[in-house]
Amino acid sequence: MASYRGPDLPDALLVERARRGDAGAFEALVRRHYRAAFAVALALLGNAMDAEDVSQDAFIRALERLDEIRRPERFAAWLLQIVRNRARNYHNYRRVRSAASLEEAQAQSDEDTADAAERSELRAELESALSELGKTQREVVLLHDMESWKHREIAEALEISEGMSRQHLMVARRALRERLGVEYLKEHSND
Amino acid sequence: MTDGRTDFSPLDPTEDAERFEDIVASISDAAAPMLAARRARASVVGQVGLWWKPLLAAAVITGIVSVGALLRYQASTRTIAELEEVGIAEAIGVPSQIADWVWSDEAPTTAELLWALEEES
Repeated sequence: MASYRGPDLPDALLVERARRGDAGAFEALVRRHYRAAFAVALALLGNAMDAEDVSQDAFIRALERLDEIRRPERFAAWLLQIVRNRARNYHNYRRVRSAASLEEAQAQSDEDTADAAERSELRAELESALSELGKTQREVVLLHDMESWKHREIAEALEISEGMSRQHLMVARRALRERLGVEYLKEHSND
Repeated sequence: MTDGRTDFSPLDPTEDAERFEDIVASISDAAAPMLAARRARASVVGQVGLWWKPLLAAAVITGIVSVGALLRYQASTRTIAELEEVGIAEAIGVPSQIADWVWSDEAPTTAELLWALEEES
């Protein structure tokens, strides 16, 4: 299997190779875009465990439909659309995948260390704060602050204007700051 | 300095490297049969894709040569048939009207025979 961890290949090339069954290219797409897929799923579902399930499923759906993508260079935006659709159908998906709940329970019990418990608490607090935001605000703030997307990229993926993206980010951050306090503000250089 | 970003690292699925590797492996495992099917399809389609232009060119050339040969053959067989029917009789100096009677197995009347011979002379 070819290695794709070296210099970044453009999405269009990875998509073309994955279409021909190149497992390395597909894995590179997963590594590159998993976090964005997760961020959008989390924004829509409000729960990290569910978001993980949906974003993993979205990659498999994306592979199934890889021949349908008309602009491979816009793979990320196309993938996020699949994530959104999968998140909307999540309840059906849960029924189909009900067997997976046992694995989830196992994963939960594995987190019973003190460190993991603290992390779990922080996660719950963030999830709770996010749940008070609007859907688009959640998507914007997660893509921007977790995935470091630019407003131009967010606007393109969510089919909104850059101005609206900035507006959503500002409102979301203010609400999160009020709810969580300043300790959740991350040290970052301005972008 | 801060730009007001919220620290989402507790939610970031890539923060725990081991867990993230498990996720990637899980997706890759689920994708493996589909990728194998794509490789198999790509090998068949790819071979056809590689060879369709030379094959098409060869088929066109064969077609042109075949049609040319067929036309030439038809032209040559028509000439021979015509020669067999009329040309041979004329070549040996038999009047065409008489040759027609010979080929048609019909006996001419005496008046027709006289008229034909007179015409020829």
